[in-house]
Parts: sequence; structure tokens; C-alpha cells
Amino acid sequence: MSAYFAFARSSFHSQLAYRNEVWANIFGKLVQVFARVAIWQAAYAGVGAIVVDGVSLQQMVTYALLGGAVMGATRPERIIGEIGRSLKTGDVAVWLLKPLSYPLYLFANECGSFGYRLMTQVIPTVAFTALFYGMLPPASLFDGLMFIAFWALSFTLLFLMSALFGLVAFWLMTSFSLDWILGALLQLFSGLLIPFWFFPEPLATIARHLPFAWVVYYPNAVYLGRLSMADVWLHFGLGLAWAALFLAGVLWLWRRASSRITVQGG
Amino acid sequence: MTALIEARGVSKRFRQHKRFPGLLGALKTLVTNEYTEVLAVSDIGFDIAAGEAVGYLGPNGAGKSTMIKMMTGILVPSAGALSVLGRTPHLRRMDNAREIGVVFGQRSQLWWDLPLVDSFTLHQRIYDIPVARYADNLRRFSELLDLTPFLDRAVRQLSLGQRMRAEIVMSLLHDPKILFLDEPTIGLDVVAKDAVRRFLAEINRERGVTIILTTHDLQDIETICPRLIMVDHSRLIFDGELKSLRAALGSARRLTLEFASDPGPLPLRTAALVSDEGLRKNYLIEREDISLVAILSEVGSGRDLKDVALHEPDIEEVIRTFYQRRNADQRSNAKARAS
Repeated sequence: MSAYFAFARSSFHSQLAYRNEVWANIFGKLVQVFARVAIWQAAYAGVGAIVVDGVSLQQMVTYALLGGAVMGATRPERIIGEIGRSLKTGDVAVWLLKPLSYPLYLFANECGSFGYRLMTQVIPTVAFTALFYGMLPPASLFDGLMFIAFWALSFTLLFLMSALFGLVAFWLMTSFSLDWILGALLQLFSGLLIPFWFFPEPLATIARHLPFAWVVYYPNAVYLGRLSMADVWLHFGLGLAWAALFLAGVLWLWRRASSRITVQGG
Repeated sequence: MTALIEARGVSKRFRQHKRFPGLLGALKTLVTNEYTEVLAVSDIGFDIAAGEAVGYLGPNGAGKSTMIKMMTGILVPSAGALSVLGRTPHLRRMDNAREIGVVFGQRSQLWWDLPLVDSFTLHQRIYDIPVARYADNLRRFSELLDLTPFLDRAVRQLSLGQRMRAEIVMSLLHDPKILFLDEPTIGLDVVAKDAVRRFLAEINRERGVTIILTTHDLQDIETICPRLIMVDHSRLIFDGELKSLRAALGSARRLTLEFASDPGPLPLRTAALVSDEGLRKNYLIEREDISLVAILSEVGSGRDLKDVALHEPDIEEVIRTFYQRRNADQRSNAKARAS
């Protein structure tokens, strides 16, 4: 087990090699967050109301900032790219030669870079924009704690989805549009751009039941206190079930991929 | 002694999806389901005992890497039985992994963005190497291969030669019983090649690590491996000592005589003249039993002889002779069948 902690740590350290990226990323994230906040300000000003559908502008700004925080430290396209590349070039053979689990290694690796991006990019950007626009505290202590748990779940789900897409790429022998597809699905159905309460029916109901909802929408909704305590627990359980399902999918595909590599040579 | 590695009639066949060239071809590739079969390894058998150093030699595409991959357990044989350390490698990949070391000349196992020593500590974690054992191995191997000066440098800043030395050190840190090397000297300069070869020979001699290396550089085999397995077109064509290959082929020795003044044409009974540059004459000695003394006495003392050089056939020549004879045999067989 200590090997996986070591992977997480070394992945954290590897990121230090690309220090210049930090400023570019902070800048990019700032622009994104400012843009999202500006959209909501404009929308609320256009309607001329302080509260729309029971949601205040201040809550919407908080939602936009949180969305950036929750999603900002994971790079699905990197995970898809890495899996696709190592399967295609055969570098994955190196991992098959070691007494360890490749999916778990990837996860440990992602944990390390997540930690790094969280500390160097996400927290500074969110803190900065929060100073600028103001950000609401969690609706209650319970909601705040559960938000952290939902965040961890969101990270795990995002990793598993990316790994799944990356493995699928092995059979399609191309990963080119898969990261785009996942990216597009996430933009819309995670609730990153628009929370589901502004979605028209039946789209809102559909979106609430898709696994992508656990990536941004549910963590944020919990933070803002939009879910009753019973609903929080229920949705946490549902999220765990999605994660278990994706985990099974990843492990199954990985077993098929590795058996294909060992029989077909990639 | 029981064999550490046993191969019996091992074959590997790959199915390749047929691809058609061009844009229309690409579409055709998508809808057709045609395969071509490629036989990479066919019916190969050998035994390797503990402590041996074996060179696995053959031209490109002869199935060398495929065989290594099967022995390390990352490729499943299509037919035949393979046993490494008493296990079927692909069924017990994890257990196998702990007891073998593998180096790919063309595929790095080091962590690109980290200082070299970090790759080693990660390796220590992966293989649960006891700390004292790890420190001891690292110190000794680093000294032998002169890694100490750049242990703190990031892997991506190392030269190819430095990196390959590091790969080899890493593969040995967990005290593997067998070390597999796939083209370990590829792309290295002469000095680096030499360092790697001497190190491997020493590891084999002093630690008793069994070494199996593929190469198409014959010098590797000459310095490291007393035993040679040759493959060509997926088949085994020779398995035995390098010495016996040499003896069996009886490759001719080359003799150069240099004179202070041109003695004119000088045919000899004991050696065949191959080129005559006047002052310098080159001969081939086909027979093994002819001594230099016999030749010199035939040349006689009144010839103004300045210098004599006798070259033992090097491995390249031995192997070239081997291939030439085999091809000649095949041609004559074909002719015999045709007539």
C-alpha cells in the first residue's frame, strides 16, 4: 500500500517540474470564474429580480465559484490521454511487469496532482474571486461537512469516468473525440454551467438522475442547503452506487484490455 | 541442476487486422474483418540453468522481444509450455514480477520528471525491498555504473547512456533471480556500451544473477554471454556455446604479413593468399591445426619480414559464415527438389 502513497507524492512532486504552468492555469481559471459570475450578474440584472426561482444572486455567485473549485483540480482529458497513450504505444507493458495494479496506480497519481492543483491553483483563485464578489458560507455545519464528502465523491467519480473513457479508447483505437464527448457531457450535465433548477422540464429531471450530476450539481446544492438532510444522505448513497458501478466497469474493461494486450500484444 | 527456465515447443502467433491504404482503404478497414496471421515465434525449446548468461540473438523481426515478453509473463504463448522459476509466467505474473528484473532498451521505466533517485525509492516501495538491503544495493550498483554524480538530476535531463545505466541499476534493486534485457545497448556509444557490458558480466559472475539478453550487437554476447541462442524467421537455428559455434564453423583465421621490401608474389601451402598489396599480404588459414610457426617456417628467413599479425575470427564473421552456409544449403536443397 505504501507504494501508492509514494505514487501520489511523486505525482505531486512531478507537477513542480512545470512551475510555469501554474500562472497560466491560475489566469485561465480566473477568466472562467469571472465569466461565469458575470453571466449570472447579467441574467439577474436582466430579470430585474433579487431572487429567481428561490435562488438569490449571492447564492448563484457562490454556486459558480464552488463549481470552479470542485471541477477545477481534475483534468479528465489528461487521464483519458494518458491511458489511451500508454495502451496504444504499449508502454502499459511496463506496468504489467510490476507487482501492482495499474488502475490503482493511476488513481494514486491523480490524487497527487489533484492535491497539487488544489493548493497552487484552485484555492488561490477561489479565494481571490471570493474576496472580489463575496461568497456565502455553507448553509449549516452539516452541509459544510457533507460538501467535503460530496467533493471527494465527485473527484472519485470524475476519475472513474475518465478512466472508463480512456479504456474504451483502446477498442476504438483512437481517443481523439472521447475527451471532447466527456467534456461536453460534463459541461452540460454536471451542472457546471447552469444549475438544474434553471433547466426546463423534463431535462432537469433527467439531469438529476445522470451520474454527471454528482460531479458539480449535488456537491454545490448540498453546500447551499438546497437538499434536506434525508435527501443529502440518499444522494450520497446514490453517488456511491454510481461510483461502485463505474469502478466495476473500469476493472472489467481493464481486465479485458490487459488480457487482449497479453494475447494480442496490444 | 534443474532448469530455471524451460521452453518446450513455444509458439506465438499474432492476428493482425488487415488494413487497406488510402482514404477509401481506411473506410474499407472499418467494415472488413479480415486478418493476417503473423508467426513471431515458432516451436522454440530450450533450458536455461541458474547462473547462466544467455545471448538471444537474431536479426530484426526474428521474434526476440516476443520471446522475452512471454518469459516475463506479459504475453501469452499460442502453443507450447513455458516455465520460469517453476511457474507459468502469464498465469502468475505478479509472483513472477517480484523475482525477475526487466530492462527494455527502447522503453523507459524511470519517472521522467523526477530526480533519478526518486525512481529508485519508488521502486523500493513497489517491491517492498528492506531499507538496508535497498541502500546497500543502490550504493554498490551506483558505484559500479558510476551513477552517483547524477542521482539528483531529473531523468529527462540524463543522456541516453546515463539513463540506460540507471534502468539496469533499477531492475536489479530487488535482487531478482533472473534479469531480462531487451536490446540493452541499443543506441549507446562505445564507452557506455562497454560499461554496461562489463557491469552485466560482473553481476552474472559475482551475484549469480541469470541473464538473458536479446541483441543484434554481437559484441554484447562476446563479453557477457558464453551461451548463444540464435533465432531467425521465428525459428531456433542454433543453441550452444559461442566457442562451439566457432569450432563447428571453423571460421578461417586471417594472417597479415608485412615486409620491409616487396618479396614479390608469395603463395603458401599452409595459407591461402587473399590480397597482395606488395609490402603487405593477407592470407586466410582455413585449417585449425596449422600453427603460426609452421607458416613462418614456410615463409623462410630470407624475406625481410617486418611484422606478423594473426586475427582470430570475430563473432561477426562466425555468424556471417553461419548464415551464408545455411542460405547456401537452402538454395541447394531447393535446387535438388526442383530437379
